[in-house]
Amino acid sequence: MALFVDLNITNCKEVKKLQSMIEMAAHLGYSAVAINHVAEFGKKKAEIVKPIATKDLFPSPPTVQGKSTPIKILTRLTIVASDPSHCNVLRSSSPITKLYDIVAIYPDTEKLFHTVCTATDVDIICINVTEKYPFFFKRPPLRPSSHERIYAAGIFFELIYTPAIKDFTLRRNTISNALSLMEVCKGKNIIISSGAEKPLELRGPYDVATLGLPFGLSERSAKSALSTNCRAALLHGETRKTAFGITYTMKKPRDDEEEEESAEPASKKAKKE
Amino acid sequence: MRFKCRYFLCELVLQDPRWRRNITAGSVSYNVREAVARLHGDFGIAACSLGLSVKYINAYTGIILLRCRKEFHQLLWTSLPFITSFGNRGQQFACFINTLHVGGTIRTCQKFLIQYNKKQLALLLKNCTNAEERDAIQASIASSLIDEEQEEFLSEEVIN
Repeated sequence: MALFVDLNITNCKEVKKLQSMIEMAAHLGYSAVAINHVAEFGKKKAEIVKPIATKDLFPSPPTVQGKSTPIKILTRLTIVASDPSHCNVLRSSSPITKLYDIVAIYPDTEKLFHTVCTATDVDIICINVTEKYPFFFKRPPLRPSSHERIYAAGIFFELIYTPAIKDFTLRRNTISNALSLMEVCKGKNIIISSGAEKPLELRGPYDVATLGLPFGLSERSAKSALSTNCRAALLHGETRKTAFGITYTMKKPRDDEEEEESAEPASKKAKKE
Repeated sequence: MRFKCRYFLCELVLQDPRWRRNITAGSVSYNVREAVARLHGDFGIAACSLGLSVKYINAYTGIILLRCRKEFHQLLWTSLPFITSFGNRGQQFACFINTLHVGGTIRTCQKFLIQYNKKQLALLLKNCTNAEERDAIQASIASSLIDEEQEEFLSEEVIN
């Protein structure tokens, strides 16, 4: 059975609220959740904050419903951009974005949407579902060539279902936007996530998979939008920390004493040689 | 000819677990119908209400069992996530419905529910705080195991 992942749980300052949300996600059967940190580049230079330390949240994370493993807590950065220059943060491979497991971008304008679609190193492109979209996901901009590039690059489009639950106008906009996206994407490279701010806004994974039907997804692709596609996005995010996706370096936490001990035999070895 | 049905085994998660005693079959069916009507309109409510009924309710654990026709069960299922509050006699309780199992017979749902409740007991035992609670949960786990053994024993006798 595939593991279900929810890649968008809104970060809030109240730790208790966040904890109850993660507990609820574990109860519903999600094996991993990502806490979403938003950096808005709209008016002034926004700073990217350090991600919340997952170890501070829970001493021992709650176990997943129906499994014996504890829930996995990840971090995610969403950049709200309205100008192509905002994407420079991503290109320069700054150390702060490396702290996050996944990086998503939320393009505001049509032009940016298409530049993002063709040339940026992100894992997820968020689709604003709440408003009537100012532009269509037209065929010419998302040409087959650029589109195939997206498939090949493993970038995913994200749909959020929480606004649809809240209000009926938002629900209509969500469904129409989702359907127009499906016309172009044909059910591929889609992620459905919650975007929940309260524990009661989360839904069970099988319920969300059926929510894909009114969004224009088939049953199979709706289920993969919750499980395999999310896993692919996570792996895509992991490759950012590696060199060309081949080698991965990691600092080993070490005490001073150990270093001294390990240093000695090395020097002895050198002498022998 | 037999009409094929789908049974939805759902868990009603309320914001405050103490509100669970307000759950009644009538209010559940009313709220579900309303949600179907909101999402699918007149056609949806007409198609769904053919065989829609509430078969079982547990006010202690918040488990409900809904029945509907097989042809239209997706109409019902797609509208279940849109239930955000549960109205009963003028009061509104914030809630959501989590589908645990969708089965073709009541029997499969019952089997699933027994397994599910056993797992919940194990979880409760892990999270309990004082000795009294632990004793009570251990006693109920033991009794559930005894039932299982007796069943196996009886079925073996029947076979022999």
